[in-house]
Amino acid sequence: MNERPSLSPGTNLVAPPTVSDLELSCRLPLLVLFISAAVWFFIGSLCALLVSIKFHAPAFLAEPAWLTYGRLRPAGFDAFLYGGCLQAGLGVGIWLLADLGRTLAPRLALTWGAAFWNFAVTIGFLGVLAGDSTGFVGLEMPSYSAVPLFVGYVLLGVFSVLLFHRRRDPVAFPSQWLLLAALFWFPWIYSTAELLLVAYPVRGVAQAVIDWWYSNNLSVVWLTLAGFAAVFYMVARHARRPLHSHYLALMVFWLMLLFVSWAGIPNSAPVPVWMPTASTIATVLLVIPIIALALNVHGTLAGNYAVLRGNAPLQFVLFGVAAFVAANLMRVCGTLADSGQELHFTWFTVATRQLHAYGFFAMVMFGAVYEILPRIMGLAFPWPRLVRLHFGLAAAGIVLLVVPLGIAGVVQDFQLLNPSVPFLDISRTSLAFLRVSTIGDLLLAASQFLFLGNVLALVAQFYRVRTKAAYLLVTADLFKPAGAKV
Amino acid sequence: MNPEPTQPQPAAPEPPRPTAERRPVPVWLFVLFFILLYWAMFYFDQRSAWGNQYVYAPYHSYAQLETFQAGAGGGNALGKQFFDNVCALCHNTDGSGKPGQAPPFIGSEWAEGPPARMIRIPLAGLTGPITVHGQEYNLTSMPAMGAAMTDEQLAAVLTYIRQSFGNKASEITPEQVKAVRAQVGSRTQPWTVPELQSVQ
Amino acid sequence: MKYGPLIFLAALLAMAGSWMGLVLVPQLQVGELVQTNTVPENATYPLARPGLASEGLQVYRANGCASCHTEQLGQTSTTCEVVLAAVGTNQSALLSALLKVKPELGEATAKTMLTELPQTVLVATNREDADAVAKDLGVGGAKARIRIVPQGPDLARGWGKRRTVAEDFLFDYPVMLGEVRIGPDLADVGTRRPDPNWHLRHLYAPQIEVKGSVMPPYRFLFETRRIDQAPSPDALSLPPQLAAKPGYEIVPRPAAKALVAYLASLRVDASLFVAPYSVATPAATNQPAASTNSAASASTNSPPK
Repeated sequence: MNERPSLSPGTNLVAPPTVSDLELSCRLPLLVLFISAAVWFFIGSLCALLVSIKFHAPAFLAEPAWLTYGRLRPAGFDAFLYGGCLQAGLGVGIWLLADLGRTLAPRLALTWGAAFWNFAVTIGFLGVLAGDSTGFVGLEMPSYSAVPLFVGYVLLGVFSVLLFHRRRDPVAFPSQWLLLAALFWFPWIYSTAELLLVAYPVRGVAQAVIDWWYSNNLSVVWLTLAGFAAVFYMVARHARRPLHSHYLALMVFWLMLLFVSWAGIPNSAPVPVWMPTASTIATVLLVIPIIALALNVHGTLAGNYAVLRGNAPLQFVLFGVAAFVAANLMRVCGTLADSGQELHFTWFTVATRQLHAYGFFAMVMFGAVYEILPRIMGLAFPWPRLVRLHFGLAAAGIVLLVVPLGIAGVVQDFQLLNPSVPFLDISRTSLAFLRVSTIGDLLLAASQFLFLGNVLALVAQFYRVRTKAAYLLVTADLFKPAGAKV
Repeated sequence: MNPEPTQPQPAAPEPPRPTAERRPVPVWLFVLFFILLYWAMFYFDQRSAWGNQYVYAPYHSYAQLETFQAGAGGGNALGKQFFDNVCALCHNTDGSGKPGQAPPFIGSEWAEGPPARMIRIPLAGLTGPITVHGQEYNLTSMPAMGAAMTDEQLAAVLTYIRQSFGNKASEITPEQVKAVRAQVGSRTQPWTVPELQSVQ
Repeated sequence: MKYGPLIFLAALLAMAGSWMGLVLVPQLQVGELVQTNTVPENATYPLARPGLASEGLQVYRANGCASCHTEQLGQTSTTCEVVLAAVGTNQSALLSALLKVKPELGEATAKTMLTELPQTVLVATNREDADAVAKDLGVGGAKARIRIVPQGPDLARGWGKRRTVAEDFLFDYPVMLGEVRIGPDLADVGTRRPDPNWHLRHLYAPQIEVKGSVMPPYRFLFETRRIDQAPSPDALSLPPQLAAKPGYEIVPRPAAKALVAYLASLRVDASLFVAPYSVATPAATNQPAASTNSAASASTNSPPK
């Protein structure tokens, strides 16, 4: 049902342009998902900023128990990952499946799924701050938030798979099957992790192995699958050319699922040596998806890079591509250079993970949201300058966050390998670098605030225009010039 | 913040739906992939002990792990066991002695001194004043705690004392104990310090 | 081409692969572990953490201590030290054997070495070499022992004596291995810092124990209360600028005591089959008990060393 308010003669207000049924069907669930994701991204970045400041003033906000570093940092990260990244990823995925498949999205089911998901993340976030953290990295949200999260996911996931199933064109674009794999991947890893770690816990270090497996599959495999789906779509669309190679995307698909899912066990883990060895091999094989991504993106955009100019969504996406290459090359080199078993304990891994989750995935999601929201609302963003400012702040923030941490990590590695360097000196050296990365966190928090502002501004403008148009429609008779026909 | 014109702008026109070309994967990428798999095979063979659950880094294989077993001649478990059960009753498990009962072994010149003197003490006991680490002790006689022990056991205990509590001295061997036993004979009279000092 | 079922199968196959490899097999290998025995004493290991310590583990979990501290010790190699323990009867043969094994010693140094036993003669990287040297040195009743010494940057830093293995965490839920070393490793902190008062003061105000530390203060684990009739034995003794105002004392809450009990229970010092090492004999920890001896018929009998 298209809304088509009629214009009275003599007014110069433009009614919201019509959007197709498809876009309309996506509007409600995607608005919920994207606005929530923006809010959670902001909350996550605020927590990250506070936590970063604590390094320079340890007594800062140390007093109420729920603001101590050990609770705020995991809570913030989970908010960023589950509330921000996963919701944005699922939202972008729904759009991709609906748009590429030319099918209407089941609005109500998806909106309810989003509602359950947000409820779960909210109580999970508060639960971690309250001290109910499960203690498992990447899975800190307590068990009472796991059930609504899973219910929310089932709704979002099942109906997204239905979207794929009902597609018009039997030939699927690579984004569709990458997303499909991601949609099957999450419930498997999440339910395994929750069952074997929280519900019926396994004994001893088997918990740690499963936790590392889950964390890797979520942060590396899932984010890569969903992120690549968005990248391929955006690049092919904006270049107005077909994606360079369907088979390169297929290679990425198989490699991520078969091999990279084995990564994640660190070298010094208290487990038999075959596990870290397998993980090292899996991490090194990441080289192939990196090359495949670069080839595909470059091949599609070759000679046509001018299309980037002034095109904020595509700039976000290409930044994300560059960040993926950098982050995963860091990951590969970090694994190979870790014979002393100290590098993975340093800021270097933190830098790698931040670059991958934020620099790659979040930036690609921002680009996709900036692309999708105008399409489903029918209106462009009211302040394009702020969108460009968001890009600038975020790009600067990520560079200022990741580069000092990476260098700090390498320095810390050399120092940890040298037993005559007292630990306090190592800590002091890292602090110098952390000062710069705190500025990066500040810029990122500001950019998230802008993102939230931009999204809300668009929605506000939409409702303002619609309200005005509805008002005009209702009062059209009252303002008819005297004597004119009804 | 400089607001753009308040007129809402429609979204930019929609680009066409993307497709993907069926271009084959470059051969060199496949070659690289197989090189990596080859390296992975070597790496796994060299490092992983093929899934053995007992082998932790830095060991490469179960056989190698077995060679590093400390058991044969590693610690002095026998000496510790007898010390804890026999000597520690009076001298304390950390060798600090008990006031009114027994002098300490910490910093004891008797523990680090000539083996012949040290072996004699538990064989027949000690009576009379003794100076240990600058402090004089004149306590009830020490019984012959080592008389019932075998040569191996006594050697192990005395070695334990000589190499614990900060002491650093040579080991005492069962042969030395046997030799001293032969010299001492069946003496039951506790030693005094002047008697011990006449022994080298 | 029927994409959906094909993709589902592909995902299932891939999931099954990594699930089998990193969930099922680890569960069978390390998830089914039971208590093991130390070598060579054959003591049961590990013993379950005492009740207060397991409560402490939950405090550790709830406050996210694992965000900054790890509990994993790595080991990069193992060496075998050949330690000459007893001289035996034939000193000259031993001397020549010693010089053959380690020619760079020089006769003078070798002679002094023989008088200051036990002495580490050689550090070998594998057992065969070490055994060969020990055999060479075993002339005339001399005894050379082999000590297994794990090596690695963590161990050299004094954070532990051997690497951590699965058995060390057998009874813990959740296993808090940590990810980043913003603070020192805690796997063996119970051996390094056994004093609970140090930990309590460190938790209350880390900077008084470690100047320049970035660890936040955990004041909420303590309570300031009015002194009742006499100061509580638990009260913290703090420097004047941090001490409670007169009439008040700072006492640890049960959570703090539990956490400290947990930290004191963190030890990695048993030699196991999977992580063998020669347990060193205990060093001198206390001063000798001052013996207040009355009857001092002081015949100063200090025997020559």
